[in-house]
Amino acid sequence: MTAAFRDEIAVQQRLAELDYLVDDGLATALYLALTLGQPLLLEGEPGVGKTTAAKALARALGAPLIRLQCYEGLTTNEALYEWNYQRQLLAIRLAESREEKLADADLFTEEFLQERPILQAIRHQGPAAPVLLIDEIDRADDEFEALLLEFLGEASITIPELGTFTAARRPIVVLTSNRSRELHDALRRRCLYHWVEFPEPRRAVEILRRSVPSASEPLIAAATDFVGRARRLDLDKAPGLAETIDWVSALSALGAAELGRVDLIRTLGAIAKTLDDREVILGALDELVPAAPENT
Amino acid sequence: MTNDSAPPALLRGIDRAAFSTAFSLRLRAAGIAVGFSSIEAFARALSLRAPDSLSRLYWTARISLVHRMADLELFDAVFAAVFDDAVLSLDPNARRRSLASDTPDPDLPFAVPATADSQAGGGGLPWITRPSVVGAETDPEAPVGLPELLPSDVEALADVPFEELDPADLALLRRWIESALDEWPTRRSRRLAWHHSGRRIAMRATLAQARRTGWESIELVRVRPTRKRRRLVMVCDVSQSMQAQTTAYLHLMRAAVLSADAEVFAFGTALTRLTPVIAHRSPSVAIELATAKVNDRFGGTRIASNLRALLASHHGGATRGAVVIIASDGWDSDDPAALAAVMARLRRRAHRVIWMNPRAAAPGFEPLVGAMAAALPHCDELLPAHNLRALAGVIAAIGRAS
Repeated sequence: MTAAFRDEIAVQQRLAELDYLVDDGLATALYLALTLGQPLLLEGEPGVGKTTAAKALARALGAPLIRLQCYEGLTTNEALYEWNYQRQLLAIRLAESREEKLADADLFTEEFLQERPILQAIRHQGPAAPVLLIDEIDRADDEFEALLLEFLGEASITIPELGTFTAARRPIVVLTSNRSRELHDALRRRCLYHWVEFPEPRRAVEILRRSVPSASEPLIAAATDFVGRARRLDLDKAPGLAETIDWVSALSALGAAELGRVDLIRTLGAIAKTLDDREVILGALDELVPAAPENT
Repeated sequence: MTNDSAPPALLRGIDRAAFSTAFSLRLRAAGIAVGFSSIEAFARALSLRAPDSLSRLYWTARISLVHRMADLELFDAVFAAVFDDAVLSLDPNARRRSLASDTPDPDLPFAVPATADSQAGGGGLPWITRPSVVGAETDPEAPVGLPELLPSDVEALADVPFEELDPADLALLRRWIESALDEWPTRRSRRLAWHHSGRRIAMRATLAQARRTGWESIELVRVRPTRKRRRLVMVCDVSQSMQAQTTAYLHLMRAAVLSADAEVFAFGTALTRLTPVIAHRSPSVAIELATAKVNDRFGGTRIASNLRALLASHHGGATRGAVVIIASDGWDSDDPAALAAVMARLRRRAHRVIWMNPRAAAPGFEPLVGAMAAALPHCDELLPAHNLRALAGVIAAIGRAS
């Protein structure tokens, strides 16, 4: 493994140049994953920036990002590889018309192999090793995790008809999970692990400033403060950082320079995602918005 | 190494392999499963660059050695015990802890949190929030806000042994559940299985078949989505008023976990997930383990806040499209309006909600207790569960839920 970064501070700085701010913990995790060549498992509440971390890492390295979104019923055919059956059938017809004899080995060659994200990451040819994002692995069936073990451990996959493919350069693998189900120990054992926390308020303000450059300073401060208070209410889905960014973008798109009550109610859909949450927030509006009589 | 000119490194001149092994053994002794490959990763990470601050050492150790969020707290404790306390206050983990618990909330008139939920709000700061984990036995502050809910002699009462059910009865419970599995409500899964009237054609299987007929595909292999049994989620009240039924209910939950892969929780004042412990091979050990895990047994009841905690926790996803059984007598110290709200939410999320109540069989029983009356409109069925026969009725009701 060639070290792309000297240490985790370099990772932090490079990502900051790309407007993605990470704390010491995540920077160390990314740095170690890069340097040790091990997969990195990121867990955390929805909306803390797990997926964005992988995307930012790919940009920082100038590497292509290959994404595998997990869902129930995901199989080898969608994750690893698939044979191109149409072409195989054509090849059979062609052989027939030429009156050639066709063996199994003629049909199961690389010519007929269709790459899916994991095989694609392994066979990637290019200046930089790709970043493979296996997103929301907890949504796949637990049997699917077993499929990944060979790949995560050895960076190789075995296709029965062809043999084993091993990556020339180990792809950088980032797995994310929302903990909707416990992952197997066998999978965890093969990965470095980092629990992503919500950023502290000061960092949150800094992130907002960079992701919504058009928003005014008082708006960002007021919105951060508001979301901080709203998170303490009893909500079905507490607004995360991603929602806060959406909300501030919405507010600034409406031309709000400050957090006024009318704009707030108009854009509430960006942070309150159920009817109950909307009502809870509206009910507590007086406590949430610090006394600002000129806005009422 | 690149740190010749760097500030003096911690752990200079020590045997890294020995250090990482010793520290890992320490973690293992504290109950964190640390595998050998993790120790190796830790040693390699240390050799990349000697840690020059405790914070760097902390993150390196945590990322390479800990593999689950539940172990983080234990890791923090061991790390703090091993490395100097005075230095640790500069450390991110120490900082986080002080934010989570010590900082008084400027917006609350009093410092004691009212419930465990509001404590998860992060002690006054918006984003440093560790979500409250199901099974809040590590949260000694939680009951402080509600002393009236805990009887003064919880300790003595917790020693009351569960009476044993007849092994034949236990076998019966499992048999009932297994026979109900056939009629269990199902949902369409995204998996595909071979079926002659399936709408899709499985190319792979068709081509494999064609191999036998000289690559001429005579028969198309059709597939269709399989159906999957809906998950069963059981939430059992283990408070004082339920004492007589608790053992039987725990056995029912064990049978459900073993035979139907259910997800089970118990609650009194706080919610505890029992699924892993209750699956023990021996029924008596399973009940013992479950009892040990529920540390507020025979305390007060907070149905609404516990159901809310269940929905908010990361196990809340298990209730989606599931059959949810709540076992409680409906004596709730929370506000009935709060229960109605959380039941409405649960009803929207679950496929079917069944409430089993040991008192429902009593002659003249009417669900007039505040909580019961509030919850009833959101339940599909209210069933009596006062004896073994009645439990059979509950199990049968799951089958009817389709």
